[in-house]
Amino acid sequence: MKLINKRNFVSIVCIFFTLITCGKLLYERALNFTDRYYTDNIFTILGFSVLITLILSLHFYLQKFPFWLVIIAQYALTVGIVFLAIFIHGRFSTNAPTAYWDMFVSITIPFFIGALVYYICFFVQIKRANKVLEKLNGEE
Amino acid sequence: MHYVYFIRIYIKLIKTKEENLEENYLELHYDKMDEETNAVLDRLRDTLRYIEGTYEDKKVTIALTDIFYIETVDRKTFAYTKDMSVEIKEALKDILEEYSKIGFARISKSVIVNIYKIKKLQGDINMRVIIFLKNDEKLIMNRSYKNDFYKRLNDLKGRSAK
Repeated sequence: MKLINKRNFVSIVCIFFTLITCGKLLYERALNFTDRYYTDNIFTILGFSVLITLILSLHFYLQKFPFWLVIIAQYALTVGIVFLAIFIHGRFSTNAPTAYWDMFVSITIPFFIGALVYYICFFVQIKRANKVLEKLNGEE
Repeated sequence: MHYVYFIRIYIKLIKTKEENLEENYLELHYDKMDEETNAVLDRLRDTLRYIEGTYEDKKVTIALTDIFYIETVDRKTFAYTKDMSVEIKEALKDILEEYSKIGFARISKSVIVNIYKIKKLQGDINMRVIIFLKNDEKLIMNRSYKNDFYKRLNDLKGRSAK
């Protein structure tokens, strides 16, 4: 079953965008930090949300490959595309000195959180299913 | 020995153990065929269905409830019971359409499992779900069929709670 499809693609991008933007705003509020490149960063978040949704939607087509290999490959692909975008951006204007590091952190943290949540959900689902099976078997 | 149960106060279920009985049987006593009784009969009809196939060049009939899993190998479909692998004519898709509500769920492109024959599930490091059957066989669930399988399992849980 495809989790990300043409119908829900935009909705998922919007969810990612909202979550990342809220996280950014909360983080800035906690540090009392004012973002001088607010507009630029908002569009970067939008681009990042589209990219991450696109890459996650590939997950369905990679079912036959080992899960961790798929996650690592998707992570590497995301980092690669973002670094390439920073590089291209740098050819036309000036990047912040920490641009690569900032984007690396921005990609790595959500990816690891996402992978951890998926991992936990996977085993919770199995635990729940085993309880249902116990119940069904008990009825026999 | 008698066991008496009540299904939602409408129907009384009496289980009687009889020594040396040739064949198990069910008997329904009713005055009027009401909605509840019809619903119970519908479920029983589904559960007591049989399927025909060939085993060692002989025609055999097996109860759906005896099937552990059904697999397609080289365009042939086999139903596996405790001690037989019976070749059947039906395609996996048709079997799933007809019998999914009695506990059959797809776990990969070529395998359908009888949920009632599953002992337990176990996840491995590679995020695959390993299905341990009651006949000690193991099957691997494909990730793309996981959500559908859990949905089917919860449907059965819902049905058994009714």
